[in-house]
Amino acid sequence: MPELLLLLRELLRVALSNDHMSAVCILAPVVIAAWPTFSAAVVAAAASLGYEVASEASKEVVAIAATPEIAKAPVQLEIAHSEVVTTQLGRDQRLAVSRDGVTVIFSRDARGRASLCVNGTGQSDELLKQMGEELSRAVVQQYVYRKLMDEMRSRGFVVVDEQVNEDRSIHLKVRHWEG
Amino acid sequence: MPQSEFDINIGADGMVELHVKGIKGKGCLEVVKLFEQIVGELREEQKTSEFYEPEEQVRFQIDQKY
Repeated sequence: MPELLLLLRELLRVALSNDHMSAVCILAPVVIAAWPTFSAAVVAAAASLGYEVASEASKEVVAIAATPEIAKAPVQLEIAHSEVVTTQLGRDQRLAVSRDGVTVIFSRDARGRASLCVNGTGQSDELLKQMGEELSRAVVQQYVYRKLMDEMRSRGFVVVDEQVNEDRSIHLKVRHWEG
Repeated sequence: MPQSEFDINIGADGMVELHVKGIKGKGCLEVVKLFEQIVGELREEQKTSEFYEPEEQVRFQIDQKY
């Protein structure tokens, strides 16, 4: 019965250990941010995927989007579970990033949600949609990363290790001491 | 010695997997609640045997900030 003894010893080791996990959970992100916080996440996400910030001047961006050659069947997407909080009523807040002839314009829609419009020069709508969704996911990831870092620092949590994995996920090892 | 340790994985789509270590009983629930308020909606939760051990005095400040 050596297997049974080994199993019992392992169970006893786990039961007495303070190092094993006490909970594992999965959290789905909700993006609630003022425009400066949201646009900072957009800039960071865009940079991580090789985009350049085209312009933050609203009139110029609207003009780009309205150009018939560029605005060929633009793909419109929305970031799920998002709310861009603003107190500056009437101000047109937009941010455009571009890569390889594709321009993505982020804005706050009429319902307050974060939306993006993808314009290309010859790319298929499917490709534009894929690029928009990839960028959209990266924005949410950057928003969550920044918010977690800010909130944890303010509560005395210490990030002791940080790694970006091949699948673009970010791994943080965090410690917290009492008092 | 650290009071508690967390492994946090932020997926490429922003989904967060949180492993809480070294906290027993309701203290663990406080941590999960804190991260829920920071990140968003709790989708799945698994408690290990440590959760059911007698709890220690652990306090985290929980408030909502935008």
